[in-house]
Amino acid sequence: MQIGFFFDQTRCTGCSACRVACKDWHDISSGPENWMRILYTEKGKFPDVFVSYMVAPCWHCLDPVCIPACPVDAITKRKDDGIVLVESETCLGNMECDEKCHKACPYDAPQFGPEKGAKMRKCNFCMDRFIQGKLPTCIEACPVRALDAGLLVDLEKKYGGIKAVEGFKYAERIKPAVVFKPKASDRSS
Amino acid sequence: MNFQSTNPIDGDVKIVRATCTLDCGGRCPLRLYVKNNRIIRVEGDDAEEPEQLRTCLRCRAYRQMVHHPERLLYPQKRIGAKGTGEFERISWDEAYQILAGELTRVKETYGNEGILLATGGGYLGSLHNGGNAAARLLAQFGGFVTHYGNLSSEGAVWASLTQYGSVMVGNSREDLLNSKMIILWGWDPARMISGTNTMYHLIKAKENGAKIIAIDPRYHDTAATLADKWIPIRPGTDTAVMVAMANVMIKENLHDQAFLDRYTVGFDKFKAYVLGQEDGVDKTPSWAAEISGVDAAAIEDLAREYATTEPVALMDCQGPARSAMGEQYNRCAATLCAMTGNVGRSGGSAGGGLMGIPVGHMFRMSSIPPGKNPFELDGPRVKGTLDIRLRVVKRIHVNKIFDAILRGKAGGSPADIKMAWSMCNNYLNQTGNSNKAAKALHKLEFFCVNELFMTAQARYADLVLPVTSAAERSDLTMPWPSGPYFAFVNRALEPLGECKSDLDIASELAEHLGIKDFNPHTEEEWLKMLVELNPEYQKHIKGYHEFKKDGIHRIKLPKPIVAFQEQIEDPENHPFDTPSGKIEIYSQRVADLNNPLCPPIPKYMSTPEDRNDPLIEQYPLQLLTPHAKNRVHSELYNVEWLREVEAHRAWINPIDADPRGVGDGDEIYVFNDRGKVAIPAWVTERIIPGVICIFEGAWYAPDENGIDRGACANTLTNDAYSDGGAAVMNSSLVQVQRA
Repeated sequence: MQIGFFFDQTRCTGCSACRVACKDWHDISSGPENWMRILYTEKGKFPDVFVSYMVAPCWHCLDPVCIPACPVDAITKRKDDGIVLVESETCLGNMECDEKCHKACPYDAPQFGPEKGAKMRKCNFCMDRFIQGKLPTCIEACPVRALDAGLLVDLEKKYGGIKAVEGFKYAERIKPAVVFKPKASDRSS
Repeated sequence: MNFQSTNPIDGDVKIVRATCTLDCGGRCPLRLYVKNNRIIRVEGDDAEEPEQLRTCLRCRAYRQMVHHPERLLYPQKRIGAKGTGEFERISWDEAYQILAGELTRVKETYGNEGILLATGGGYLGSLHNGGNAAARLLAQFGGFVTHYGNLSSEGAVWASLTQYGSVMVGNSREDLLNSKMIILWGWDPARMISGTNTMYHLIKAKENGAKIIAIDPRYHDTAATLADKWIPIRPGTDTAVMVAMANVMIKENLHDQAFLDRYTVGFDKFKAYVLGQEDGVDKTPSWAAEISGVDAAAIEDLAREYATTEPVALMDCQGPARSAMGEQYNRCAATLCAMTGNVGRSGGSAGGGLMGIPVGHMFRMSSIPPGKNPFELDGPRVKGTLDIRLRVVKRIHVNKIFDAILRGKAGGSPADIKMAWSMCNNYLNQTGNSNKAAKALHKLEFFCVNELFMTAQARYADLVLPVTSAAERSDLTMPWPSGPYFAFVNRALEPLGECKSDLDIASELAEHLGIKDFNPHTEEEWLKMLVELNPEYQKHIKGYHEFKKDGIHRIKLPKPIVAFQEQIEDPENHPFDTPSGKIEIYSQRVADLNNPLCPPIPKYMSTPEDRNDPLIEQYPLQLLTPHAKNRVHSELYNVEWLREVEAHRAWINPIDADPRGVGDGDEIYVFNDRGKVAIPAWVTERIIPGVICIFEGAWYAPDENGIDRGACANTLTNDAYSDGGAAVMNSSLVQVQRA
């Protein structure tokens, strides 16, 4: 089985409640380490402007490139649910291996704290909540209910299989586990 | 287990049900996870969907505010120069002696009117609210001078009272789902929340087929998410566009004359003004286009679409009303709502900008009775008056506090102020003209501030008293523009350090002032009384203890509340609460004021620091100062999880940035005769040319050259108020220069 995310870009206001809830739940200091990020797109010229937001957690890819990139096999993908996890004790840290996982990932999912030797950490699909049968905190934090999570097949059934969205490039070779409701970049449509 | 450790929650954790009481449009239930007197995690409401009240990012960072390393934990007195923030720790006993001593000295030397009490909206609970206990104490001490009005909504309040005789002008949120079209006129709930779940309701309305139009100087996040069309407009010109829309409707006979005949008075006079029969100026779309920058054809289209679609919710709000003739905008919006027959109609709107519903509304909370202030006993009756001049006989307009300190009675203030005691506010930062405010605070003989943080204003204090956060005391609260529901804020923590509530401070100070039996009740006794003696609670709540345990009581509405539905459906038995019993497009009460800047019908008028002001040669840009999403006014500004979400920067269009050599991210100076701020530029197509936007609430921090490095928007704004009492926050001209 494979878990995944759904993101309704037409609803997202870029508020960042998901990002702050993530930091609160996982007790992550302010600074460069952000398991959930919000990407911003602005196109066009006044007054015909297009704006969209895009969430960026770890997509728990079907074929993750971070795993082979890791020199010490600290990253694993769980067989039962496809959640990609890192064993931080095994990770060499940002000084010794030069963040190879981060460089390999096209979505910047692997995150490092500011300190020397910081170990990689990232979205773990809120594993502690997952074990209790709960959705990740970002999903329940979204004030406009733009996010959902669950088994990817169920999400595809419920929301369709759209993989293209503004501010995101679906990498066929690694297959991020996500489906979208995209925002049309032509406002008149 | 093969995963990184997160934030382990073990058996010693208790979960406390609370609700946010910040001065915010939202009022969100929270579950605080507490361990060893520390909040270790925050979760939101756990009601089943669709009723779940989801908190915004601000309260997601609640624990970083409560446990911020810069929380004030002990009383302190000033040891350095004013404004430098140099203090030393003292005992509560010494603090009370100092404050009681100064109150007594000022009273004996100058009389009670030398004492200013500055309260505020920084905390919106029932029991611990902005300074009622202190007001009660100072009244018993012989009196004090204080302020009138609030910075947010006076324009909308005046407009709603004039037009409807009521401030409960909103439909409940779920009624948006019944709208065919929603006009967001200056309203950006994605950022300022404007009622928990409001943005979600708007999204559902859109998904339900409603067309959404946004009229705003900015392509804000609500518009970017929802608007089928963005109509950029220059600040302060909303009323001109509304008047031109009325012009189109009248000339094309699109208005609902039957509605106007039945429910309103004075439309003929408004019509005469709109058509130019009063002043010779036909208020056509071309006339408004010249003023507003909005294309005449767009005004015509909007007028036609608004008048021929039904129902339409025209959502005016309070932001554009924080301007030099702000009340005209809300009155004119309400007039358009009547012209299109949308008042009292499901899916429509009444305008007026306040959005409140008469059930579970913040205004219906009980509080400690402040009692009569001896200083005000010989003043005029002001209850319900539309005459702002009467309101400032014995009080100071909130946007003139510092002017009153500086100029005293000779300058028109009701009193010569010698000392001030402040709580639940950061007025130096949040009223117009922060540099002037700093000067005024230098002039005071004594200044005491109850605070959680060493704010921009607290730095000028002689005495700082540390106050508990909302997590360290229990209280009651209600929302204002949404709901309806009641919230019980359960205390999550023992007070941090030596913090005390404003109520405890007033009570203990009473002993030092020799006022006996000032507060005979415990917090719990007060809360029980405030619930049991309040008719609003008694109508809905079964038991105090159950309410406390649940933390929230939701009122189930059989159908959405629609403002003035009774008045529209059964006008004979339900007159409007105005002198005529009708919607007053023409107000005789206002006519009787004989003030040309406060006309009896809504009018567009030119104002100081609009684009007609010759000052524009020197300062060619208009300044806009809206709410930021990652703080509540100046509250939460120091919370890092929120700071990193969005940098404090000035929105500027490339058309204005390019000729000034300003690139995205460049440090710029924004300045006028009142002050100068340094701030990074955000060059964006999302703002109308000729306008620069700095979100209010960043903390004022002048350097040795007087440049405000904190980039507080109010370093640039004027400490003026309109003739309807609106604080003038969005009528400032500035220039921009690369730093």
